[in-house]
Amino acid sequence: MIHAAFLIPLLPLAGFAILAPFGRRLGNPLAGWVATALVAASFVVTVIVFVGLFQQAPAHRELTQSWFTWLGADRLSVDAGILVDPLSMTMAAFVTGVSSLIHLYSIGYMEHDEQFPKFFTYLNLFVFAMLMLVLADNFLLSFLGWEGVGVCSYFLIAFWFDRDEAASAGKKAMIFNRIGDAGFLIGMFLIFERTGSLQYTTVFARLGHVGTPSLVAIALLLFLGAVGKSAQIPLFPWLADAMAGPTPVSALIHAATMVTAGVYLMCRINPLLHLAPDAAHVIAWFGAATAFVGASAACAQNDIKKVLAYSTVSQLGYMFLAAGSGAYVAAIFLMLTHAFYKALLFLAAGSVIHAMDEDQDIKHMGGLARLMPVTSLTFLVAWFAIGGVPPFAGFWSKGDVLENAWAVTPALWVVGAASAVLTAYYIGREFFLVFLGERRWSEARPSGDGHGGHGPVAAQAVAGGPPALRRRPQDPSWHMSAPLVVLAVLSVFGGFINLPFHPSFVFLERWLDPVVGPALRRLHYSVGQEWLFGVVDGVIALTGVAVAASLWRRAVDRPAFEPRFLSAAWFLDLAEDRIVARTGTALATFTASVIESRIVDGAVNGVASLVRLFADWARRAQNGYVRGYALGIAGGVVAVVAYLLVRVVQ
Amino acid sequence: MGSLDSYLPIFVLFVLALAFAGLSVLASRLLAPRRPTAAKEAPYECGIVPTYEPAQRFPVRFYVVAMIYVIFDIEIVFLFPWAVVYGQLGRFGLVEIVVFAASVFFSLLYLLSTGSLDWGPVKRVRPLAGRLERTTASTVRRHGATGTGDEGSGRAA
Amino acid sequence: MIGLESLRGLQGALLGAGGIVLPHIDYTAILPELILLGGMLLLLVVAALSPRRLATEFYATATVGIGIASLVASLVLWKDVVSHGPFTAVAKSLDIDGFAVLFLVLVSCVLIVAPMLAVGYLRREGIEGCEYYVLALISGSGAMFMASANDLVLVFLALEVLSLPLYVLAGFDRRRAASSEAAIKYFVLGAFSSAIFVYGIALTYGATGSTNLGQIAAFLARNVLTSNGVLLGGVALLLCGFAFKIAAVPFHMWSPDVYQGAPTPATGFMAALAKAGGFAALLRVFVTSFPTLRSSWQPVIWVVAILTLVLGASFAVVQRDIKRMLAYSSINHAGFILLGLQAATAQGVAASLYYLFIYAFLVLGSFAVVTLVAGRGDDQHDLSRYRGLARRQPVLAGSFTVLLIAQAGAPFTTGFFSKLYVLQAAVAAHSYALAAVAMGSAAIATFFYLRVVFLMYSGSAPVEAGVSPELVEPGAASLAAPALAMAAPSGQALASGLVAAGGAGVEPAWAKRSGGGSGASGEGDGAEPPGEATTGVPETPLSSSPWTVAGLGICVGATVLFGIWPEPIIEFARLATTIF
Repeated sequence: MIHAAFLIPLLPLAGFAILAPFGRRLGNPLAGWVATALVAASFVVTVIVFVGLFQQAPAHRELTQSWFTWLGADRLSVDAGILVDPLSMTMAAFVTGVSSLIHLYSIGYMEHDEQFPKFFTYLNLFVFAMLMLVLADNFLLSFLGWEGVGVCSYFLIAFWFDRDEAASAGKKAMIFNRIGDAGFLIGMFLIFERTGSLQYTTVFARLGHVGTPSLVAIALLLFLGAVGKSAQIPLFPWLADAMAGPTPVSALIHAATMVTAGVYLMCRINPLLHLAPDAAHVIAWFGAATAFVGASAACAQNDIKKVLAYSTVSQLGYMFLAAGSGAYVAAIFLMLTHAFYKALLFLAAGSVIHAMDEDQDIKHMGGLARLMPVTSLTFLVAWFAIGGVPPFAGFWSKGDVLENAWAVTPALWVVGAASAVLTAYYIGREFFLVFLGERRWSEARPSGDGHGGHGPVAAQAVAGGPPALRRRPQDPSWHMSAPLVVLAVLSVFGGFINLPFHPSFVFLERWLDPVVGPALRRLHYSVGQEWLFGVVDGVIALTGVAVAASLWRRAVDRPAFEPRFLSAAWFLDLAEDRIVARTGTALATFTASVIESRIVDGAVNGVASLVRLFADWARRAQNGYVRGYALGIAGGVVAVVAYLLVRVVQ
Repeated sequence: MGSLDSYLPIFVLFVLALAFAGLSVLASRLLAPRRPTAAKEAPYECGIVPTYEPAQRFPVRFYVVAMIYVIFDIEIVFLFPWAVVYGQLGRFGLVEIVVFAASVFFSLLYLLSTGSLDWGPVKRVRPLAGRLERTTASTVRRHGATGTGDEGSGRAA
Repeated sequence: MIGLESLRGLQGALLGAGGIVLPHIDYTAILPELILLGGMLLLLVVAALSPRRLATEFYATATVGIGIASLVASLVLWKDVVSHGPFTAVAKSLDIDGFAVLFLVLVSCVLIVAPMLAVGYLRREGIEGCEYYVLALISGSGAMFMASANDLVLVFLALEVLSLPLYVLAGFDRRRAASSEAAIKYFVLGAFSSAIFVYGIALTYGATGSTNLGQIAAFLARNVLTSNGVLLGGVALLLCGFAFKIAAVPFHMWSPDVYQGAPTPATGFMAALAKAGGFAALLRVFVTSFPTLRSSWQPVIWVVAILTLVLGASFAVVQRDIKRMLAYSSINHAGFILLGLQAATAQGVAASLYYLFIYAFLVLGSFAVVTLVAGRGDDQHDLSRYRGLARRQPVLAGSFTVLLIAQAGAPFTTGFFSKLYVLQAAVAAHSYALAAVAMGSAAIATFFYLRVVFLMYSGSAPVEAGVSPELVEPGAASLAAPALAMAAPSGQALASGLVAAGGAGVEPAWAKRSGGGSGASGEGDGAEPPGEATTGVPETPLSSSPWTVAGLGICVGATVLFGIWPEPIIEFARLATTIF
């Protein structure tokens, strides 16, 4: 059963291989169904392998499948192979599972798009790359997947590339990711230099011979990679802009799967972090800071998806906080539950956006609950889940993280708890503004005044209020609402995979134990303390909910609670633009205009004309006469013979 | 240079041959009187006074036949020694020489099929490689006794 | 009477010496060659006896079949060698080892691909008959024997068997004076170099008392020659003979003229096969027979390699004729392969083998593209023909791009690894200066490869003489960007990128030069096509022949596939060297 694991990435790849040349011919919606079916098949295979792995004894839950030696040069030998262990299979299961649902949802969401087949081609390629990332048995192959998801993310963010903001958001994502990738690459070089291998198991086995400074450097460099991919401080602005892509993309890539790659990497290198506690502390603090900044920024956004984007940043911060605290199980646990409720939030938001004629400004909405019962109910579930209201999924997973943070230092707990209040609050604000309150939109007048269609309408709102809708908002068709319901169920019960009450309930922890066990932080709380943490978490969540309800149940505008520095995400984006980007541009302009065109081009053109002059001069020997050529040969012979004979004499 | 010693006679011979040839030319140049006349300068054609320049080009067929001749010559060169030691070579020799003869025979077949041994007006069994498009520009004009060039195209042998 | 008596005397002498020792002939050891020669004879007989004219496709199919059969036989032999180790055959005149079998496989592959690429040409030019294929097969068997020959005499025979059909192939297109001229030049100079080579054999024999490579090596290992002038003279002459075959500077002058004049598919075949055969024998003779003289011949190779690298790359820059350009580029490649020999290590030999293997596909494919672009008549080789090719024939232009950037050494193509390995070998042998020069020449080479790519992807309107660098079409710039990006991570990253970037700037100056008429390109005296007379000939579409599509597909596919997944061929070359 386990040996079928190679099929897991191959099925989406097959989808890509089919859709890339024939997608257009398959058309809409067949191409979408093909893509969905293959990803779903991949999910089925994953489940089968998962069960197969489960039947093994815990100590034997690790299998390396090597297909062939991919690269070999001197000491470097990299196999194209996959590592099947509880961690990678957990990731694979949740990647394929969530992807299947989102593929299904996309068939409905993208049905009017002209580029329908292309969209699914990219999606399949993305799933393949993501699976390579999590299944690879070495850093380099993981990096291939890492870059692959980056590229797909670029394609998909800029999917509507005829819109300026989508195109530039795509570029922005690419550039921010490249900064992180540089860290990953250098980290990888350092790993190879120090351990002579890139294979996970080999590297981890040889960590004992590596000095602590190198370990810290490696950990921080890889963390830099994770910072880029997982949108942590200071590289998070791209994620907010990435919301210019289609909503399923935001759900799949920029909430559920790709951005968690950094967390996966941190969990994968847990033996390394265990030996480099200083690096782990840095990671934890970066995570906590990101959690807080993201959550606070989400409080002041007006774009329905940007709220969710900053929320994702914040939740990823929690995951890094967990990973940095040595709570890898908590990180994965939060990643799973987050995938459920965040995907749900995005898909619900997508339904709303669809219903609102592509308008994404929550200030233009209101009162949709009655018209869209499925969407609003599932959104409500997601709110409670992300806010950590017991017994929804988020309560358990976030509680886990906070407990571990307390064990490191209470200061981390305080930051985390503050962010948790904000989390419950900002989604509540969104819920009230979108689904409750009075309707701030109008239905279409029969004439149709040319509004609607593409583009966020935030700019128009300033000019003259929200546009009229072409038709009455309603719940979407079944293949869009089915994923909502499934994800809502998962958001409610997802927390039960790791319950703290009794050692026999911590399924996830026991499952992941072979991988992260040795490095895991062990908590020693009494039962009373556990209950105390639970109660406090519940109170925190309910506080956020209550505050949101009291502030936003009726009101639409409360400038005091939407300060400028929050809606601009603490001006980090602006600062980076001013300091780094402007300086960089200036430097580039200088090098382009002075160094490149004068010095470098001069040198190159100089060399080129030297070569040409020389060749023009020397080619005269090539006169086309056989006698001349024979003379050349004879000259060569004489020279060679003379040289060798002179050597003899000496 | 010990190992070169045995080559010394050859070298000496080489020098002597060169010297003799050089001296001969030099001596004739020095000793013979040079009084050229038109009759002396003319090419020797069996005592007949030449009326026109000798033909510069021959039909390529002559060369082909000459080469075929050489091929069979070489076959004979191999057959002679083979025949002499046939007894010792036995079956091995027979097989080898049959393979060799067969190869030569196959090439003869090929030559026949391309019409290399046909004389007289060309009647090719099979066209040769290439399109032989003749134009007035590409055809070599051959000059007859009167120099008017009426012998037709170079294709006629 | 006297003749008969002397023969009797000879017989007596032979008998007196204990009779004739009959060699045991192991036919399985020479099965690939036998398949080629037998198939060739069969083709000849079929052609001679068939009552009606057979289509060129028939012969091509047969040749491909023969090639596949010999490939299978070679692979069987490979298995044999891998499991039982190398062995000598036919009175020790043949050495069947991994090295030899690698070349058997290579030649078989060339013989499979080359006919595919020739069919379209022969059909287009109306050249019927079996001759092209028969000559190719004979030449192939010569190359095979060259690789496995363990005796200098056999090396020479194989060299001639390899070369003679190539002379004919060079002059195969009898309607074009250039083709005949190429054949004559090649033949005369080839005969000249053969003579030098034979003299080298004679001197070597004189010094060591044997022509058998193994015995020469054994003799040199046993005896320390205090004054080995004769031997070194022989080595020098052998080296010169080989250097002619592989077109190393200063023995290269024939190659641009011949490459230009010969029918284009024949040029590709010649470049792939003659280089493979020449290098096979060169590597074997020098690495197995004369390792003790390494300190003497290594400096010579060093100088020759440097000259070959630099002059090959520099001269290619100033060519207007794509075939001459590719000829000089192949000289440059020969320089790279020489790096492996100069290193004179197992690593170096393996690198050279790998290089030769992938180079065969690159050059076959490149000349196949040139064949198509030249159009009917096969004499339109000016670089300007390539302007806007991407718009007219995107697939063809894409294939050519792959082949060219592979030759330039871009990653994700086989060309990258081939250059990487020879450079590694050179560095490992501490030939740092040589490696540096090689990289510099690769940077120069990148310029002229990318120039063709630029041309293909730029607009179809010709660039006028006075256009400033800034006005090079944006399409060209944006399309070239990926190529640059691809070149970036390679070893010569900076240099190649810069030279390529400079290329855009140099381009107009170049275009200006071309306005100067034939003077810019006319260096072969009679071999220049009369540019203006036949400019109207349209290029042949790729789709005109499924054979060409298949052959080109194999070349490009191999280039990309083994560029991404280099392991099999590297492993092949390494194994071939270890059981050397």
